[in-house]
Amino acid sequence: MSFFAGYGPLAELALLNMVLAFSQYIVLRAGVFSLGSAAFAAVGAYAAAILATRYGVPPALCMVIALVAGGFFGAIVAVPLARLRGVFQALATLALVQIVLSLALNWTSLTDGALGINSIPKAVHITEAAIAVVVVAYFLHVIGMSGIGRGFDIIREDETVAVSLGYDVRKHHMIAFVLSGAIAGLGGAMHAFSSYSITPNEFGFHMVVMLLAMVVLGGRVSIFGPIVGALILTGLPELLRGFQDYRSIMQGALLMLSITFLPRGIVDTVLGRLRHRSLSRGASAKDRDGVTI
Amino acid sequence: MSMLTLHEVGRDFGGLPAVDSLSMAAEAGKITGLIGPNGAGKTTVVNMIAGLLKLSRGRVELDGQDVSTMEAQHLSHMGVSRTFQNIRLIKEASVLENVLAGFHRHETTSTLSSLLGLPSAFRERRALLRRSMDLLERFDMADLADWPAASLSYGHQRRIEMMRALATEPRLLLLDEPVAGMNDAEAYSLAEIFRDVAAQGVAILLIEHNMRFVRRLCDHVCVLASGRLISQGAAETVVNDPRVIEAYLGS
Ligand SMILES: Nc1ncnc2c1ncn2[C@@H]1O[C@H](COP(=O)(O)OP(=O)(O)O)[C@@H](O)[C@H]1O
Ligand SMILES: [Mg+2]
Repeated sequence: MSFFAGYGPLAELALLNMVLAFSQYIVLRAGVFSLGSAAFAAVGAYAAAILATRYGVPPALCMVIALVAGGFFGAIVAVPLARLRGVFQALATLALVQIVLSLALNWTSLTDGALGINSIPKAVHITEAAIAVVVVAYFLHVIGMSGIGRGFDIIREDETVAVSLGYDVRKHHMIAFVLSGAIAGLGGAMHAFSSYSITPNEFGFHMVVMLLAMVVLGGRVSIFGPIVGALILTGLPELLRGFQDYRSIMQGALLMLSITFLPRGIVDTVLGRLRHRSLSRGASAKDRDGVTI
Repeated sequence: MSMLTLHEVGRDFGGLPAVDSLSMAAEAGKITGLIGPNGAGKTTVVNMIAGLLKLSRGRVELDGQDVSTMEAQHLSHMGVSRTFQNIRLIKEASVLENVLAGFHRHETTSTLSSLLGLPSAFRERRALLRRSMDLLERFDMADLADWPAASLSYGHQRRIEMMRALATEPRLLLLDEPVAGMNDAEAYSLAEIFRDVAAQGVAILLIEHNMRFVRRLCDHVCVLASGRLISQGAAETVVNDPRVIEAYLGS
């Protein structure tokens, strides 16, 4: 138990990061190069924090509202941005993060500026965080298995083939943006209810890089990718606690190594190897039975 | 009326015509060959018909309807399907998943049911998986259903392209060198399938280099050289046309 007492806050943080990483995951899976998850998380976090501290709205309702607000914001953003591609989409969504950040800093009557919002009730603990991870992962799994998930996969791999098979690329990109916004909105609100206070800077460049790193390191296809990525990148700084000064360097180096040597990410690489091995074994068993393929 | 009709179709690249004044047709239930030396403009023709390239001139009609400016996505829903000369599959996905993607045109589950994982979405997936397996069996690839597409031979990858194209249940099927790199035995086993598909009333436009294959399979052959139609007719007539012989020898 003392183990869990010591690592409880860290586990809670890892779970909350998983929710945010799911938001990054779903856009990348659909071939959308959005870096906007941090902006959506800020919208959710501020909506929840303001409603809870100023208007006394119950936390559970705040989180639902944050989810809807994030999804709505994602939909609005998707209208101009779903027609962009690749690096232009990345830049435009990065600009969005900056806009939201400066609004949070400068719209002081609403957000209290750089001071942030304090005294947010602690409504999210490790249990709530774990439930959120399971529920979001379940829905992402279901969506991944559906026609929409097939559309995401084929659009990501080859847009020309996708349109030739009748897939509506714009519609799928819009759906990805809305899902990403809704998930990050929820994740942001849960973060607010977990940490007593929020400040604008938490939703800046650092978060953009962290979420991207989690999905790239973990993997972009299997939903276990962002889970593993969030686990490693949340836990790593703790393991390196003695090397405070080198933490960012280590994280950066890890990201570079994983992109170079595991471009598909840890989970997708491992699953690919396992699948190949079991298929090969099945094939050679058949050969022994005199059946050739 | 022909399933596909091209009227004086042309396409320029950088001011130079890659295809010019091309008029031809493909009939339902027939296999129409489109042959010509490398760079003749065959793939460009397929890309224009499929809506992936805009026409510079002329008109494309599908079953009498002008579809010259229609987008690829829309044309797919109208029943136009194609394979790619340079194989384009989801490399990491299994054979089955690749074929499954071809059924998009026939999905009926609403977006919301898919997002919420309602039973109808799962039922549809199971039904489409079954139809995909039927296709795999027809192409003799059921044993390979779970293999990642990229791990298989070119011959198998071309078959996946064809299954995916057939999964859309097209009215017009455009095959861009579907048996390139296959040996004769492999090619002829596919020829049987093409004949069956055509017999069901599909118009097939077959691009192919192998003249023996074309002669055996095609009801009608069009010959393209430097973007222009230089000859058309029955396979036997066309291969003996001096202009065709010259175009091939000259290249
Ligand atoms: N996207 C493109 N941009 C510029 N030129 C192209 C393009 N596609 C094809 N071409 C040119 O058009 C001509 C016909 O090419 P293509 O249709 O691929 O011939 P084929 O399929 O008969 O071998 C070639 O000269 C080729 O270089
Ligand atoms: Mg070609």
